[in-house]
Amino acid sequence: MSINIEISSIFGRYTNNQLVIPVKGNTVGECVQDLVGQYPDLKKVLLNEKGNLLYSYEVYINGKSAYPNEMAKPVKDGDKLNIVMLIQGG
Amino acid sequence: MLTSAELERYDRQIMIYGFGEEGQEKLKSARAFIAGAGGLGSPVAIYLAAAGIGTLRIVDHDKVELSNLNRQVLHWEENIGGEKVYSAATKLRKLNPNVKVEAVAETITETNASQLVADCDLIVDAMDNLPTRYLLNRTAIEKEIPFFHGAVYGFEGRVMTVIPRKTACLNCLYHDANVPEEKFPVIGVTPAVVGCIQATEVIKYLVGLGELLTDRLLVYDALKMTFIELKVKKDPNCKHCGNP
Repeated sequence: MSINIEISSIFGRYTNNQLVIPVKGNTVGECVQDLVGQYPDLKKVLLNEKGNLLYSYEVYINGKSAYPNEMAKPVKDGDKLNIVMLIQGG
Repeated sequence: MLTSAELERYDRQIMIYGFGEEGQEKLKSARAFIAGAGGLGSPVAIYLAAAGIGTLRIVDHDKVELSNLNRQVLHWEENIGGEKVYSAATKLRKLNPNVKVEAVAETITETNASQLVADCDLIVDAMDNLPTRYLLNRTAIEKEIPFFHGAVYGFEGRVMTVIPRKTACLNCLYHDANVPEEKFPVIGVTPAVVGCIQATEVIKYLVGLGELLTDRLLVYDALKMTFIELKVKKDPNCKHCGNP
């Protein structure tokens, strides 16, 4: 099972500057848990106390939004996930 | 009708296939609302003025501070302490005296947003906070005028164009999500890139050229030097543009 999560350069400080990270899982949620398992410092940045993504992030599977219930969305071998932070600066 | 001076001034863009004098006349008759005269508002306003947009209405309540000058290129040291919109208007009028610049030093609120936008043909979102971005998104939908979204953080940017009733809106993208308003990191080249893309979208829309950045979010990561596109679907239950 090979799924890649692409993260922004902003998070490079938590992942030794790895910005494309291979993960395992059958759902977005499982993949995200695998991601934060590999890089525990990401957990407090991405997830709330219940283990769900904070509202300030969107997940895309192969370029398409996973909203709503993104953590439950199934993924398959070869999929690419993007975790995108909501930004508001002008 | 374009004057001989305007024909000379805009000669290189009139030469673009599909643009022509007709396209230039469309720009001349357009009224653009630019929300924010900061990091994004500066390049947006500069390039729309240079292109010959007829009227730019720029709204911002802030005053120029020293810490703005790394990115807000319409403002200079001599402007510190003055209202951003007047600083911007002075430069833009010098850049292109043909453009009418309306400077409004007010805060955009629920109460005045519709009146401020008034008879403008489009809204450029160059704000620095989500509540006002959402407010302007709703205003654009109510008035059925396009909304050109841009945002920056550090070396990253986002851009999306909204055509009300036809394409996904800002709230289809973010689903009422909010983040605390706080001081954010940014270097001037990031809003320069993002603001120029917003201005490009405005010009394309007005002239009627190319494909707009609709139903897709452009994610710019300057540290990777990548632009990726993510598909955004119009949400039928969206509180702003749907029919919940």
